[in-house]
Amino acid sequence: MNTLLSLYKEASFIRAFELHIAVASEAGHVPGLVHLCSGAELVEVAICRSLTGPRDQVTGSHRSHGLALAMGADPVAVAAEILGRKGGLSKGRGGTQHLIAPERGFLASNGIVGAQVPVAAGAALTAKLMAAGGIAATFFGDGAANQGAVLETMNLAVSLNLPLLFVMENNGLGQSTSADYASGGADLCARAAAFGMKAERMDGYKGARAIKQSAEIIDYVRMSGKPAFIEANVPRLSGHYFGEKADYLAHHEADDPLEDLAESLDSGVAERVRLEAEQAAHDAVSDALNMGEAAPEKSAEVVL
Amino acid sequence: MSEKTPLQMTIAQALNRAHHQILEAEPRAIVIGEDIVGGAGLDGKELGGVFGVTAGLASRFGTSRVIDTPISETAFVGMGLGAAMTGLKPIVEVMFCDFIGVCFDQILNQAAKARYLSGGRIDVPLVIRTTMGAGDGSAAMHSQSLHGLLASVPGLSVVCASTPSDAAGLLKSALAAPDPVIMLDHKGLYGMIGDVEADLPAVPIGRGRLVLKGSDITLVAIGEMLVRATKAAAQLAERGVSVEIIDPRSIQPLDTDMILTSLEKTKRLLVVDEGPSYGGFADRVIAVAACDGYSALSAAPQKLTPPHTPVPYGRLLEAAWLPSSEAIVSKIDEMMYEE
Repeated sequence: MNTLLSLYKEASFIRAFELHIAVASEAGHVPGLVHLCSGAELVEVAICRSLTGPRDQVTGSHRSHGLALAMGADPVAVAAEILGRKGGLSKGRGGTQHLIAPERGFLASNGIVGAQVPVAAGAALTAKLMAAGGIAATFFGDGAANQGAVLETMNLAVSLNLPLLFVMENNGLGQSTSADYASGGADLCARAAAFGMKAERMDGYKGARAIKQSAEIIDYVRMSGKPAFIEANVPRLSGHYFGEKADYLAHHEADDPLEDLAESLDSGVAERVRLEAEQAAHDAVSDALNMGEAAPEKSAEVVL
Repeated sequence: MSEKTPLQMTIAQALNRAHHQILEAEPRAIVIGEDIVGGAGLDGKELGGVFGVTAGLASRFGTSRVIDTPISETAFVGMGLGAAMTGLKPIVEVMFCDFIGVCFDQILNQAAKARYLSGGRIDVPLVIRTTMGAGDGSAAMHSQSLHGLLASVPGLSVVCASTPSDAAGLLKSALAAPDPVIMLDHKGLYGMIGDVEADLPAVPIGRGRLVLKGSDITLVAIGEMLVRATKAAAQLAERGVSVEIIDPRSIQPLDTDMILTSLEKTKRLLVVDEGPSYGGFADRVIAVAACDGYSALSAAPQKLTPPHTPVPYGRLLEAAWLPSSEAIVSKIDEMMYEE
């Protein structure tokens, strides 16, 4: 399978996975709210292609279902965790915002905006000291760009020479607040460069270029042992959380990178790949739904 | 010299020796903090930490394992956590526990929860060493005692050593524990001298130390308050009042068995603590006595803590703020008289 088609296949699986999670949520099978990654799949798959767990470790935000899948976490265990089922990655203790699969290189996702970024610096430090060629990558949104944890860690990574790739997915919105409003100095890539690290923009609608650019910048981090930064523009195709119905969303419409990618492929082949991905995602979420709900094993206090 | 021959050294020296032994024995152990090497980016002799606890580590083990950081507590405490989650054994030094206010998210939400959120799959052998305690004119933001606050966070263990051998031994146990351990050293006690065994044996977390046997009242204290309690007990002994003193050493988990066993005998409890008077460590020990030791008590359990204000600066103000050994004597006299 050629590179673009396999990118489309993986990204389509994540898109379909999120849609099935949304369906499960509407049916009342999800304990809380879910933050879907729809729109960012292409960038996440493109970057994670050049990362291999457990040597490489990735941390992500509250919107990390797709990232965990892109790193190779078992889709049934991911779905089961989101659904609070026994067979979840963490036996239902963590949930949608706390996906943890370090065996596949997905160290953790996080419920606090930006807090995953310092943790990735630790994974980068381990990689540096173990000297086995590993690196760490951390994904966060434009909403996290103004968190002290993120800014401190950019400086720390430069100061200590850590092999850490910062990936800011700029979807233009921190919950309901626009990035233009929230960021003093709207050029967030220039901010990263000001810390003294290599910083580049990535077009979240250009799959082939994203794959090549990811490979090159990850190779730079791996070889130099230094941090680097990517600002990728991605749309947020669902609300802040699934089911959100708010007026501001009507003022934030965007094209779908997956539709753009499909148009560049042979339409018959693309449709077949999409349907296969849809079936696989359906099966994974169904399998998870069929597992029992995570419940206390002995008493309510004994949950580990 | 035999490994068991006792040596005499200060708490700071015992901690320094323990760091050396740990880094020697465990290649995955690293030390992270501000000015722990000292003079980074400048020529000159290493500082070895503001209290000398990390002296000589960088020259012996290298600056890849003994890492000076920018003044960015959130970033470097988080880095310690991430390193612990991926196979290293970091000892992270936060210079004063007051600075935990800066990086509390990485402790409260990240370090404390990582093992639980992993469903028990990831161990977090992270040690955060910091200092506590008033009495040296450091004022409101370099003098607090936050052991009780930290102990209230599920997922954290909290230890406070008050002797050189406990400081070294608890540090070793902390690094072997699967959950993050926060170790608070009373900065007024770094110069305290005591006996240690040369190999600095590990001290188990969760077990208290019976400092003084007595029969009339149980007194629970750590750090400088333990020093003052011991002085007060000597005065009271002259008048025939027999005080039993327990140094819990571990704030969480707490050796409740030792405290309750003592209460069976003495029937009275006084907790002396530098932490806050509202919801602090003293309140926790009193809750244990009230809930699980009620039938043994012949008087209401009591506490002596500072007033519920920030730590004041002026010498007389600060001295008045801290419970004194005289205040401990008076309080115990009062409790004995009540019966």
